[in-house]
Amino acid sequence: MYRIRFHGRGGQGMKTAGRILGTAFFLAGYEVQDAPLYGAERRGAPMLSSVRANGKPINERGIINNPDLVIIADESLLTLPAAGVLPGLTSHSVLLIQTDQSAGTIKNHLHIKGEVLILPLPPDEKTTGGMALASASCGAAGARLCGLALDILEQAVRLELKTLSPNIIEKNLARSRQVFALLPAGIVREGKEIMAGWQRPHWIDLPMEEASISAPAIHGGATSLNMETGDWRILRPVIRTDDCVRCGLCHVFCPEGVISLTDDGLPEIDYHHCKGCLICLAQCPAHAIDAVPEHDKGGKL
Amino acid sequence: MKPTLLTGNGAAARGVRLAGIDYLPAFPITPQTEIIETLAQWIQAGEMDCRMVTMDSEHSMITAAGTAAATGVRVFTATSSQGLLYGMEMIYTVAGWRAPFVLVNVSRALSSPITLEPDHNDVLAARDSGFLQIHCSTCQEVLDAVLLAYRLGEDERVRLPVIVNLDGYYLSFTREPVLIPSRKEAARFLAPYDPGETHFRAGDPVSQGVAVLGGSQYSYFRYETHLASIQALSVFNEICREYEKITGRVYEAVEGYRTTDAEIVFFMLGSFATKAKDAVDHLRKTGLKVGLVRPRLFRPFPAQAIIRHLADKKGVAVVDQNLSQGKGGILHAELSSILYNEERRPCVLVSFIGGLGGRDISVEEFFEMARVTVQAAESGKTPAPRLLYTHEELARMRGLQSIAGNRSPGH
Amino acid sequence: MKKTIFKTIKDLPRHHPLGAGTPACGGCGALEDIKLFCDILGEKTIFVNAAGCMTLLSVYPFTPFRGSWIYTAMASAPAGAQGVRDALDVLIQKKRLRPEDDLQVVVLTGDGSAYGMGLSATSGAMDRNLDFIYLCYDNEGYGNTGHQYSAATPHGAQTATSPEAGGYWGYKKDLFSIWAAHRPSYVATVSGSDPLDMARKIKKAKDLKGPRMFIALAPCPTGWHYDPKETVAIGKLAVKTGIWPLKEYIDGKVTHSKKPLSKEKRPGVEEYLEKQGRFAHLFKPRRNDELLAEIQARVDDYWDNIP
Repeated sequence: MYRIRFHGRGGQGMKTAGRILGTAFFLAGYEVQDAPLYGAERRGAPMLSSVRANGKPINERGIINNPDLVIIADESLLTLPAAGVLPGLTSHSVLLIQTDQSAGTIKNHLHIKGEVLILPLPPDEKTTGGMALASASCGAAGARLCGLALDILEQAVRLELKTLSPNIIEKNLARSRQVFALLPAGIVREGKEIMAGWQRPHWIDLPMEEASISAPAIHGGATSLNMETGDWRILRPVIRTDDCVRCGLCHVFCPEGVISLTDDGLPEIDYHHCKGCLICLAQCPAHAIDAVPEHDKGGKL
Repeated sequence: MKPTLLTGNGAAARGVRLAGIDYLPAFPITPQTEIIETLAQWIQAGEMDCRMVTMDSEHSMITAAGTAAATGVRVFTATSSQGLLYGMEMIYTVAGWRAPFVLVNVSRALSSPITLEPDHNDVLAARDSGFLQIHCSTCQEVLDAVLLAYRLGEDERVRLPVIVNLDGYYLSFTREPVLIPSRKEAARFLAPYDPGETHFRAGDPVSQGVAVLGGSQYSYFRYETHLASIQALSVFNEICREYEKITGRVYEAVEGYRTTDAEIVFFMLGSFATKAKDAVDHLRKTGLKVGLVRPRLFRPFPAQAIIRHLADKKGVAVVDQNLSQGKGGILHAELSSILYNEERRPCVLVSFIGGLGGRDISVEEFFEMARVTVQAAESGKTPAPRLLYTHEELARMRGLQSIAGNRSPGH
Repeated sequence: MKKTIFKTIKDLPRHHPLGAGTPACGGCGALEDIKLFCDILGEKTIFVNAAGCMTLLSVYPFTPFRGSWIYTAMASAPAGAQGVRDALDVLIQKKRLRPEDDLQVVVLTGDGSAYGMGLSATSGAMDRNLDFIYLCYDNEGYGNTGHQYSAATPHGAQTATSPEAGGYWGYKKDLFSIWAAHRPSYVATVSGSDPLDMARKIKKAKDLKGPRMFIALAPCPTGWHYDPKETVAIGKLAVKTGIWPLKEYIDGKVTHSKKPLSKEKRPGVEEYLEKQGRFAHLFKPRRNDELLAEIQARVDDYWDNIP
């Protein structure tokens, strides 16, 4: 059985990528199972989708713990433990990342045993982080790496994107062909049906605990600061201090409240939590805020 | 001390008054309304230092009861039947907050058809919610159960809300002699409420009842509530002994009546159990060794005590005053599950469904249930579940149907 | 003479009690509204929440609130507020809580609860003259479940359950009037894009007692289909075009805190609508002149009838 995991952020199209691959397998005669998994429907938050394909009916369900192929739409997820992109990778599995970094860098930094492949961003999509066509890119990559044929992939893209305008569908098809040509065919191998040498679960007797800790209550304020929502950002707002007129509007309008003002009125952005919505940029009367693609910052790993 | 004649509703109100509650969110519904009316009069007369508010629905009422308890006051509320079901979303929700309060449910059968007299499907719908459940069979027990419920739910080892159940009409509107503890006795048993860490106030932020994402966290919280409920078993026994010392009245999680040497046992909940006692006494005179086992505590389910009471019995007549549509009696299923692995389990469990919608169970029917159970035990053949319904009843039903008419062809 | 507060942007609080790191979408208009409420109300608050997008602000073990919070259910947040308010009053009266440790009780719901399932509980809370603040963040649909239409969805908006060419066939329920008909202490509409107007109204409400009700426009990039950076711009256009009147009800009278320019001078509704994907069908592939005219006429009619 093929087991493939797609990782992205809410709104990046990884549900559709999974469906493109699922449909392609299905058209090629496989039994298929595909499903997205969200924490909650939140744009920008990490999510994943999974695809299984087999020559016989599939009884497995839910999260794939032992992927043959992992496809990552957004490299910023690599360093985000909550996104869970790395667990289950072995020397058998293939990892494909949409990024401008080199495979060697990623392999070395993250100590990845299996093969690492890079899907370069299309030149005209540098500013969006390659997100406009991410579902076609990643779906096509999956189909190619699993050895499916191009005409089947094209058919799957058409089926899954049929509600979009013909113009957009053509763009996605073009991108699919481009990705198909870039990547090696059929290097992903089907994983084993049942894991040999199963490990006994370490069950425990859950101790009874006081109601003060065993009820779903949070004792304390603003614990959300532990969540580094700065990881959601694709574009980073950067204030050009010299041009800033210190009106304070960015501070007022930031919905996250992550722009503070210094004593002399200069705004400062908390990048640990800024989600990159860019309301600050849109509302800045002096046009003193730029949007810089996160992957251009480099050195994220 | 001289007893006073009180209805079940009156006894509940007496218990609540002795508990010294702070807050009473209410909503009228038959046959519970008398409880909140009685309390309203006492509050009006300045005999209770309590704030009462009539809400816009039972859903709102149970929400307000839960949030007030979570803010740190002693809360009471009451409902019946459709009201309990209308508020059921909140019954489950507030139980998870681990903020104790007491809710009296006056059992009344559920719609449809809509009706007024009791059975236990309303309170059993709350079975899996996390609320503890105490079921009463006399008006005296109602009063005592309210006080026991506060002690039990508020105990720091438990911290769960409690339902005290009494049957509509058969207890709610029926007067019986009730011994009322003095204020002093009640206070000796039940101290003023100590909310512990359960509060909302400035400078001590708490986010209560928050969402969780993921089955692992969810499992933890839900199972902890279950463990607290299980723990309530031993706490109940402990506080019952304390209550006995103060009032002289003996309560246990399971009432056994003439069970020691019994071969055949009735197993049932609520006020109809006193009818069964009557039947037991009559049958004993004929030489049949019969007894009665009645759980007072239904959640947590006192499995070990029930197993002990039923060890080596020949047969059990399980009388379910409820009906799980498409399955049968709920008590029968609960009982079967705890006995299956017991070596000394009774030879047969015979399932009877009776008393639905307040339909009476006559003493003759208890005799017949005993006879059928004896026969089953002797033959080793368990009969199919039996609805207590007579030939005469069906004849009367036919008469009504002929008036109601029908739309089948040819009529 | 009464001191005017919040004259300029600089008068708004510098410190935001609401913590960052929430799971709300980037550019969330509702979060913008809640942030300002926290700014003005401070930390001595308890938010009583009903099911909606903002329920996920507090996901174990993370909460952005520096005050307290309790989640109830979709239908009964105002009833939850009743229980908390009454309990706090009882505790203070019985000297088990110091008056300075009292909390302002704030109901927080979306439009799904406010306009629909929770309306009965809200009506009850107003009947009982409950001392509380109600903040409805109105993103004009069931946002948390993927933006299906609610009773707050405007006429013509496409949602997940009104995907047809003409969009939603219904007309946004007039919750302001329904609430005002209960004669509570205060009712106001606000928009996060106009923080001074909003801050003044919250401050006014804070100093009153009884039911104080707010409907806050909450532009939603995810459900309304626009770039998150446009949230404030869209909110401003809603006010400028006259689609979102900024008004208040107090002592039996409705007044507008800000009026758009005259019919001839103010921007047409198109300027507001064309920025949002949910109204794209009004412009593409063909302009729907009839529906655009109807939407414009309703707005003009509203303002023509304002004394």
